[in-house]
Amino acid sequence: MIDGKPASSADMPADMLGALLRRVGLGDRAAFEALYRRTSAKLFGVCLRILPGRHEAEEALQEVYLSVWRRAESYDPARGTAMTWLITMARNRAVDRLRSGGKFTPAPIELADTVADGAPLATAIIEEGQDTARLAHCVGTLEAHEAVLIRTAFFEGATYAELATRVAMPLGTIKSRIRRALAKLRACLA
Amino acid sequence: MSDSALSEEDDLLAAERAFGLLDASEVRAAEARADRDPVFAAACAYWDNHAAALAAGGGEEPGEALWAAIVARLPANDGGGVPVARLRRWQALTLAATAAAILLAVIGGPHIARQPPLTPAAVTPAAPLIATLTGKAGTVTISYDRANQKLLSAPNGLEVGDRAAELWVIPVGGKPRSLGVIAAATPRWQPARLPAASAIAPGATLAISLEPQGGSPTGQPTGPVVLTGSVVQA
Repeated sequence: MIDGKPASSADMPADMLGALLRRVGLGDRAAFEALYRRTSAKLFGVCLRILPGRHEAEEALQEVYLSVWRRAESYDPARGTAMTWLITMARNRAVDRLRSGGKFTPAPIELADTVADGAPLATAIIEEGQDTARLAHCVGTLEAHEAVLIRTAFFEGATYAELATRVAMPLGTIKSRIRRALAKLRACLA
Repeated sequence: MSDSALSEEDDLLAAERAFGLLDASEVRAAEARADRDPVFAAACAYWDNHAAALAAGGGEEPGEALWAAIVARLPANDGGGVPVARLRRWQALTLAATAAAILLAVIGGPHIARQPPLTPAAVTPAAPLIATLTGKAGTVTISYDRANQKLLSAPNGLEVGDRAAELWVIPVGGKPRSLGVIAAATPRWQPARLPAASAIAPGATLAISLEPQGGSPTGQPTGPVVLTGSVVQA
């Protein structure tokens, strides 16, 4: 964060962001600007992790907030926090953008050579709040190839079928590997 | 843990959905399930939260000009010049009007003030969806026959001058989608315009705007919206 403050859902009362989002749903532009000021750095970070280059990420971020404006009415607090809703929207729009236009080439994945890179530094994690730190810790307990598969799904929008093609393994094998990894994650998070 | 009542298989399904491993049809199936199964929905929320944490490491301020760019694009995304707050007011008003109409229709009985559910629990696929659109320009009754994908428009005293009456469906929380121009003077069956007609559902708003002959050139309402009404199950 530029301002040095953490911006996870933990640092701001969830109901405050949720209340802003509800006002946005009613067409309140002042609330929309307040929401943008509080969340844009975090959502821009999400776009930057998915898209190559700042320009693409800024284009995606515009689409994210336009979607937020149009769809804020559909936010249901019973289905999760406002920050999770926003991050999920940012991830989905950025992945859509990554894969649209035919520029994206799903590269083969060499599981044997994978190292656990791309994860944020420990100090950055600590600043981000507990949810992120715990998830990062638990992803860290997975085998490197398991973490790579899950991260590729999430950050590149690769489904089971695409992952199987990219690692050149049967679909059933890749499914059972990932499901085993998800079960490990669940045990670690519990 | 999300819930002990959920099978391990289903909890993994919620995790697979959250991390983006499922294909489009599997995602739709999982979301339909979450809509009717609160335990599964809670598992989805649990995993969504963790998946979001995967994306959320770090942050960076976007360029200062970005906010202005977003604001500049807002009106174009809210119905071609129709302020979104107004659209939403119509939706609220038509909802209130529907509730009031039902109140009037069901005279007597102490339970009449109960809100009608927007989405009936059991919907017969063959039952048509109807809406009575009212406003200063007159009245139009719309009936949508989903089985045959045909739309009946029955105008009553509709005044449009030399303009065309274009019919729109506005899904809850969505943008207007054109259902085409309707005949202003006579009842008419016409093939429903797909995929827009699939947005005709209980709770959605139908509206008629006055447009140049041939319909809106932009795909969004450009003229005044003169009639609105809510879709109900017949």
